[in-house]
Amino acid sequence: MPSRTNGVGVQVEETKICVVMVGLPARGKSFIAQKAQRYLQWLSIRAQVFNVGNYRRNDAPHPTADFFDMNNEEGERKRRVAAESAIADMLAWFRSGGVVGILDATNSTKERRKWVMDTCSSNGIEVLFVESKCDDEDLIMANIRDVKTTSPDYRGQDPEQAASDFRNRIKMYEKVYQTIDEGNGEDEYTYLKLMDVSKQVIINRIQDYLQSRIVYYLMNLHIRPRSIWLSRHGESLYNLDGRIGGDALISSRGEAYARKLPELVRQSVGDDRPLTVWTSTLKRTIATARFLPSHYNQLQWKALDELDSGVCDGLTYQEIKDRYPEDFAARDEDKYNYRYRGGESYRDVVIRLEPVIMELERSEDILIVTHQAVLRCIYAYFMKKDQAKSPWMNVPLHTLIKLTPRAYGTEEERYEAKIPAVSTWRGKGSTAKHENPTPESL
Amino acid sequence: MDTLLTAEIAANAPRYRRKSSTFIDGIHDVTADQDMAPAQLYSTMSGRLFHSGRIAIVMVGPPARGKTHICVSMARYLQWLGVKTRIFHLGDYRRATIGPEGTVPEDYFFPNASPSSIILRQKILKKCREDIYAWLNHENGQVAIYDAVNPTASGRRSLAKEFANHDVQTLFIESYVDDERILRENARNVKISSPDFAGMDPDKAAELYLKRIEMRIPMFETMNEKELNYIKMINAGAKFFYNNVSFNYLSHRIVFYLTNLHIKSRTTFFARAGTTAEGEDSYKSDGPLCEEGRAYAEKMAETLFKHREQEHAEKVEKGDHAPLRPLSVWTSTRLRTVQTADYIKDKGFTVRQRSQMSQINPGACEKMPERLIRQLYPDEVEKHELDPYHHRYPRAESYHDLAVRLEPIILELEREQNDLLIIAHESVLRVLYAYLMHCSTMDIPFLKFPRDEIIEIIPAAYQNEAKRIHIPGLDPRVLVSSPGFFNGTPSAASLSSMLATGTPTGNLSGHVTPNVDGLSSPPDTSVERPPEKVINTAKDMVADKVDDED
Repeated sequence: MPSRTNGVGVQVEETKICVVMVGLPARGKSFIAQKAQRYLQWLSIRAQVFNVGNYRRNDAPHPTADFFDMNNEEGERKRRVAAESAIADMLAWFRSGGVVGILDATNSTKERRKWVMDTCSSNGIEVLFVESKCDDEDLIMANIRDVKTTSPDYRGQDPEQAASDFRNRIKMYEKVYQTIDEGNGEDEYTYLKLMDVSKQVIINRIQDYLQSRIVYYLMNLHIRPRSIWLSRHGESLYNLDGRIGGDALISSRGEAYARKLPELVRQSVGDDRPLTVWTSTLKRTIATARFLPSHYNQLQWKALDELDSGVCDGLTYQEIKDRYPEDFAARDEDKYNYRYRGGESYRDVVIRLEPVIMELERSEDILIVTHQAVLRCIYAYFMKKDQAKSPWMNVPLHTLIKLTPRAYGTEEERYEAKIPAVSTWRGKGSTAKHENPTPESL
Repeated sequence: MDTLLTAEIAANAPRYRRKSSTFIDGIHDVTADQDMAPAQLYSTMSGRLFHSGRIAIVMVGPPARGKTHICVSMARYLQWLGVKTRIFHLGDYRRATIGPEGTVPEDYFFPNASPSSIILRQKILKKCREDIYAWLNHENGQVAIYDAVNPTASGRRSLAKEFANHDVQTLFIESYVDDERILRENARNVKISSPDFAGMDPDKAAELYLKRIEMRIPMFETMNEKELNYIKMINAGAKFFYNNVSFNYLSHRIVFYLTNLHIKSRTTFFARAGTTAEGEDSYKSDGPLCEEGRAYAEKMAETLFKHREQEHAEKVEKGDHAPLRPLSVWTSTRLRTVQTADYIKDKGFTVRQRSQMSQINPGACEKMPERLIRQLYPDEVEKHELDPYHHRYPRAESYHDLAVRLEPIILELEREQNDLLIIAHESVLRVLYAYLMHCSTMDIPFLKFPRDEIIEIIPAAYQNEAKRIHIPGLDPRVLVSSPGFFNGTPSAASLSSMLATGTPTGNLSGHVTPNVDGLSSPPDTSVERPPEKVINTAKDMVADKVDDED
């Protein structure tokens, strides 16, 4: 049993949490697990999903429903072995510095949960159970169709037959399923129970801030269809000079992009539904958004302002290299963590963007007009880009990006305005004013 | 509109906050101005956030369940976020109606009360509800927190229906406690200061008090109404049950906040960072501490250690044998604050660096003499003087930006159970202080935290209190006030002299060099400082407000 209750003396840095998913198949467990991993990784909290199904598939790649019958000893043994290997790998991963491990499996019985709990506790790891409970038949069916018929378990099979087999598999689980409940002697556990798509929620014994943050994030998730549009500001006068930072106005080509943007957006949205527009507080994004329809709600966020380059603000890369050669080299060495003197790092930008991401998860259709570094960070969140790579990503000017979140990832579409602009992409070590992006930066 | 309430508060609160004071918690003040709140993300024409409409948060639970603490904390957080929130304690209305001489009828809370008690009850409810509607309909209020027992399911259903008829959404928050230890602790902490229990053994008094509640409120039904939106907070946050019929931004936010709230008492200390060598004190250079700065760090730490030990010894003397609470230390990632904590770190305390706590970014005007700023940006200066909290100089952060950035810190601050020392730049202390003491946005840029004082904030159910601890024997060079213009505004004193003469006077630039006459900027005597010793402790101040069955 965890002895450290409600955070006495616990520091986030010292905390290790195992998020244990609980629930019948087709309840969106994997969706929740993936989202949580992406969110935490983006915040530089080391997180990793351990999917027991993937381990089981090594042994039983295409099982039929009766494999999951609790009376099938062979099936039961193989599934137990899969769970044990997943947990063993997870513990090894915790020892190597992992912070939040997410165990994605049904964990549908009290015994199984107790075993997970005891294993984690004896290794000094806190456990947060996250149960998704849903009895809405339509929703379950939609989930079965969308996700499971594309599951590796049913690869190459007839979708109808796969769905029917999968429903039988769920029935096998239903026979033994026990929901997390204080009546089950599980009152001392830390858990989040989401019932009927978060219509009812139980939160039990949150132990520290990081757990509350995960819980809050999961409560903000929704599955209504929506998209997010991202654009940089139109080409600025500083872009033309190859200078960074500043609060310059947009060039005449940037102005042309601003005028083209409403049409580009309409083309991408496909109908007249209004978007909410978020800009930074800098002149170039506000100017870029100013021709959008007046019935769009527009908001300025300070948190969307460009990465603050401190003493280097307003300089060209050549000037930075001349004046601060060590800084120039240090930044290229570790661009994500390098903090400009008196300014910010990419890591700092991500921290200040967190409320923006929380709002984004909660909201529906949003258009964000912002800056290169900020856009890289937001893009990295949705597209799960690696921290070492995302600061080097090419985000061309005068291009509208549409992101549509789906169960297992995010779809991307790009719309080019076909208005010429300089490239602001820069390769490692380069001080060129403008250069063409290399293929791997795309 | 709210004359009754205002008059009532003025009459009942022993030390109602003076308008000029920032050292008494202003959480119960009725705001007169239309300012945006410290961390409000957007403003709208109506003054309400666009996320949600008007909301009544209705508290549910018998006395001694910590309802007042929850109401006050929640109001603090919501107002900080820019949600116009006001608390309506039904008890205030009962006292105002019955008068200081009158007594509450024995059967007041009984389901089968006598007709006269029912009429009295309805009269009181009507007054309170009229004020709630006035707040929501005519004063641009967005959230009304209705603090009452609301014991029956039928009563709650009709309340929700009535609010719905007025186009107001209802969210119930029940504080449900079945842990005897928590009940007794709550009863001991606030209730037994009532004269009824004078001279009694605290445990006995608590028990008697709880029995009395049970007798007076014989019927209480815990929430189980499927069709209502409610949060049930069980045993002071050990567990939450959340029935979310209609999706709502604010209720999620509230749950998040409540999961971090606890009811244990702990203290927050604020201290400034030490000084750097001249020329390295700018935002961008992020210089290390100079020798005086290091000496300051040591003296500050020793003063704090001594103070904590003294306080603890006093408690032990009074019979409270709880061990000294552990101390956590937070700094920003700026070199000066980190180095100021080094001495404490060497003593074995845990120090955490928080990048969100970096000082306000001064932007383009850093180290510019005021004259030059006025020359270069005359329009900006004008705007700044009109709204020093929200205005942002070119490339700078406003206090508002800083407050938004500090929000995660606020939540961790609520969660922290150890005593906490925050070492940060004055601008950060201003904003955090404003959250804990609920200051007006107009005051925040002008709050002063001289280096020779550690500020101690002691939380209490009804309101927080602030104290200052003097750090003796400091080098006068570390005492010069945080230099001016880019930090916010010129100090109030220099502003008024400016208005008088029409030209800026004094040294308001980023440099802390001595004035022409050889004096360093004198400590500003016009600023208000918190009282050295708080005579009315929070408990005494509010005894008459919480000792009865609200």
